[in-house]
Amino acid sequence: MLDTLQNLYLGFTVALAPNVFLYAVVGCVIGTLVGVLPGVGPLAGISLLLPASFGMDATSAIVLLAGIYYGAMYGGSTTSILMRIPGEAASVMTCIDGYAMTRNGRAGPALAIAAVGSYIAGTVSVVALMLLAPPLANFALRFGPPEYCALLLLGLLALAYMSGGSIVKALAMAALGLLLGMIGIDPMTGFFRFAYGVVELGDGIGVVPVAVGLFGLSEILLTAGEEAPPEVKKPRLADLLPSRQEWRDSVWPIGRGTVLGFLIGIVPGSAHIISSFVSYAVERRVSKHPERFGHGAIEGVAGPESANNSATSGAFVPMLALGVPSGPIPAVMLAALMVHGVSPGPLLIQQQPKLFWGFIASMYVGNVVLLILNLPLVGVFVNILRVPYHFLYPAILIFCVLGVYAVNGSVVDVWIMIAMGALGYILRKLDFETAPIVLGVVLAPMLEMSFRQSLAMSSGNYTIFFSRPIAASMLAAGACLLLLSLLPLLRRGADWRGALGLAASDEKEGPHET
Amino acid sequence: MATKDRIAGAALALFALFVLEESRKLPLGSLREPGPSFVPVLLAALLLIFGTCIAASGGQSEGFRSLRWRELPHAVAILGACGFSAWALERLGYRITVLIVVFLLVKLVEKKSWLATTLVALALSFGSFYLFYTLLRVPLPLGPWGI
Amino acid sequence: MRRRIALLVMLCALPLGTLYAQEKFPDRPITIVAPFPPGGVADLTARPVAAAMEKILKNPVVVVNKTGAAGAVGMSFVANSRPDGYTLLMALSSISIIPEADKLFDRKPAYTIDQLVPLALFSADPTILVVGADHPWKTLKDLVADAKKKPGEISYSSSGIYGTLHMAMEMFAHAAGIKLKHVPYGGAGPALTAVLGGHQDMFASGPAVIIPHVKAGKLRALAGWGAKRVASMPDVPTFKELGYDIEFYIWAGMFAPKGTPEPIMKKLRETMKQVVQEAEFKDAMAKLETPIAYMDAPHFQKFYEKDAKMLTEATRRIGRVEEPAK
Repeated sequence: MLDTLQNLYLGFTVALAPNVFLYAVVGCVIGTLVGVLPGVGPLAGISLLLPASFGMDATSAIVLLAGIYYGAMYGGSTTSILMRIPGEAASVMTCIDGYAMTRNGRAGPALAIAAVGSYIAGTVSVVALMLLAPPLANFALRFGPPEYCALLLLGLLALAYMSGGSIVKALAMAALGLLLGMIGIDPMTGFFRFAYGVVELGDGIGVVPVAVGLFGLSEILLTAGEEAPPEVKKPRLADLLPSRQEWRDSVWPIGRGTVLGFLIGIVPGSAHIISSFVSYAVERRVSKHPERFGHGAIEGVAGPESANNSATSGAFVPMLALGVPSGPIPAVMLAALMVHGVSPGPLLIQQQPKLFWGFIASMYVGNVVLLILNLPLVGVFVNILRVPYHFLYPAILIFCVLGVYAVNGSVVDVWIMIAMGALGYILRKLDFETAPIVLGVVLAPMLEMSFRQSLAMSSGNYTIFFSRPIAASMLAAGACLLLLSLLPLLRRGADWRGALGLAASDEKEGPHET
Repeated sequence: MATKDRIAGAALALFALFVLEESRKLPLGSLREPGPSFVPVLLAALLLIFGTCIAASGGQSEGFRSLRWRELPHAVAILGACGFSAWALERLGYRITVLIVVFLLVKLVEKKSWLATTLVALALSFGSFYLFYTLLRVPLPLGPWGI
Repeated sequence: MRRRIALLVMLCALPLGTLYAQEKFPDRPITIVAPFPPGGVADLTARPVAAAMEKILKNPVVVVNKTGAAGAVGMSFVANSRPDGYTLLMALSSISIIPEADKLFDRKPAYTIDQLVPLALFSADPTILVVGADHPWKTLKDLVADAKKKPGEISYSSSGIYGTLHMAMEMFAHAAGIKLKHVPYGGAGPALTAVLGGHQDMFASGPAVIIPHVKAGKLRALAGWGAKRVASMPDVPTFKELGYDIEFYIWAGMFAPKGTPEPIMKKLRETMKQVVQEAEFKDAMAKLETPIAYMDAPHFQKFYEKDAKMLTEATRRIGRVEEPAK
């Protein structure tokens, strides 16, 4: 323990050195901007600034890039809450209840709780990172294709709990999303699937255009034509801060979100995107008033926002402890380290203590900076809503197009966003939820690939999923959850139709009445 | 009786059938070694089932005609502007595209004044370009005269 | 009459104008397209090159990532762009695989090999065969013997089907007459993680990424695909030394679209020659642990043709993989 404190002290001396601190702040500011821009997420932000970091020393570079990463997580919630446009894929769940709170005049509290939740999650997860990195990393490394497949199946289960209305409708949307995720080159055999000759679709349709289109663009399409522009209650100062009740309601969601996000973030791969989805589902499941979700439940903001912030620290665990590129973002940061002559590997912590501890300390510092940055800005952001909608939405539209284009520099992505926007418009008119589609698009490629990789490893033998301990236990947990949720159905027996929600659904998604 | 759910369910089922048809071009593989179309076929089959369920029990939802499409013309105009921006973005460059799109939306669709439109268009177009291209180094397409 | 003279003068001036434009090359920013995501080999090689070019030409040179379809998006973008010397491609050895793979699937190829003309080669890292340290095989001989006893059981990960790492292993398997189990992953990073986690037995990799892990004892290097031993790993024998006649490099080279005028090509080649002499460039490559293996265009052309032939053959031999477990 004393060792750790000494190292931490060393780290703080590095992190608070003027130039390193400056880069941390710059990274956080840029990250927030990047996060606020619809669609452009932390990966795009880091990739854009990677070349700019070549001129700096290793510690400053990595502090800058990390700042962009979690800064983007903070910023992504802003547009999600204020305008129902996901700042990046992980902020999709915040759109649902966050925007509902805005409509209820509670935009300030939503933003504030999101910032505070992110801060707590970020700080706690950095502590966990600091103390538990090596053993956790070794555990994470044991996640191979079968374990990954089981984890993603559990993520799919989250779907059943994500929606308030008809389960069958939600499942249909999930199937649709999963199908959309099948577009592209089949990674196991090299076949082009459903791409119709468009080379840019080779890597699939991408979650960013889908999320921005289904949520942001469809919202504009539904709202812009209304005769009375959306009413935004003018916020008073008191309304900017969360009420006592809201604080109390957020405590447990923040805690659960932090733990959940960190654990999911450790797993190598892009699993950290599903942390916010799973957190939303968990909150809904354990809530005493699940029907509030979708209409402005603060838990639906606190949980997912904490989850996606702590997942970022989780993602660093395998990267720092083992030098393993555990996802696209850690891969870019490892490359940044290599360019600066630092060989990332299992001995990184021992060989580069200043770098590692300086990095950890800068994450503490960065979280504080972001909290200080975001809280006062809540008032500023809420006032943006006062701009007359007829001027506001063209600006939002431009930023959506800009954001979606900037991710890959591809116009095909913009076309996908437009198609998804139209689809989202129609679906919402017909009372379908759109969030399961996004989850499906995210999960499908990873789920299918890990499934077929597992079968390739076992030469076609399905028992591989049950013979490996981690995979088997996750599948067992999933089966239990499934059975538990079906139990009420079996008990009530007669009313199974009503229970599944096949009859007329009274729950409408979000405050948007048609 | 054409209710919302019936139409939606039928549309989903039709889409599933379309996917099944398209998947015939790809090898299915076997249960032991799934091919490229294995999972898509599985998913399409599920979607077919779900769509049919929704349509079958959709008799109690509201009628299709009860849907109000009041904002449809507006929405189509917005989609059109977006489509234009996708077409023009790499041909005319970012700034010119944004100028035109903002003009289209603010002047023609929202029918605001010329002054307001011009101010907003210039601010958005050049402002966002400066912020993202010059400051943040986001690669944005330049138009024919380097604009 | 005056009009006609004016017209004539203008018509004569036109070719002079283009000549002048070529003399003035470059007068706009040059774009180097890296067809892979940031942090990958193509990207990390392209950036020092761009920086050095900028210094030499006193003209901005930007690197743009156009990713997708294992590089096909970026490569076809450059192949179809205007051959005026302002759009160049930093390609990896996979450039010759993609059109062949397209042919396998009866697809219209995203681009063809003759649409791109080689300018200069910058690096040519041989791949290294590494196994997880927990496995019993201490030498290549052990591995081959074991593989012959258990055909199709020893697994290897790769960065993707028909990718460079897949090709390298295929050539080895063919030369040694053994059957291995191929499990594709979504990139070199996940492939490395899989072997470190013990999920797959081995894989082929560029040297830079695995050196720290070999030094830390988590991976064991058995053989290299180069003609000579790698400087940073001097006790790793080459396949050639061990009796297998195979060579494979993950090389990174600059290409221009076909039809770029001769004078511009000459200027670019001159620039490349100077780039590899730049101290900063050398420094950057040393940091990446990637030795500079510079080849000028004619030399590179021969190397590239030989490489393309070998890869095309290997691709055809692999054929269509209808079932992943081969």
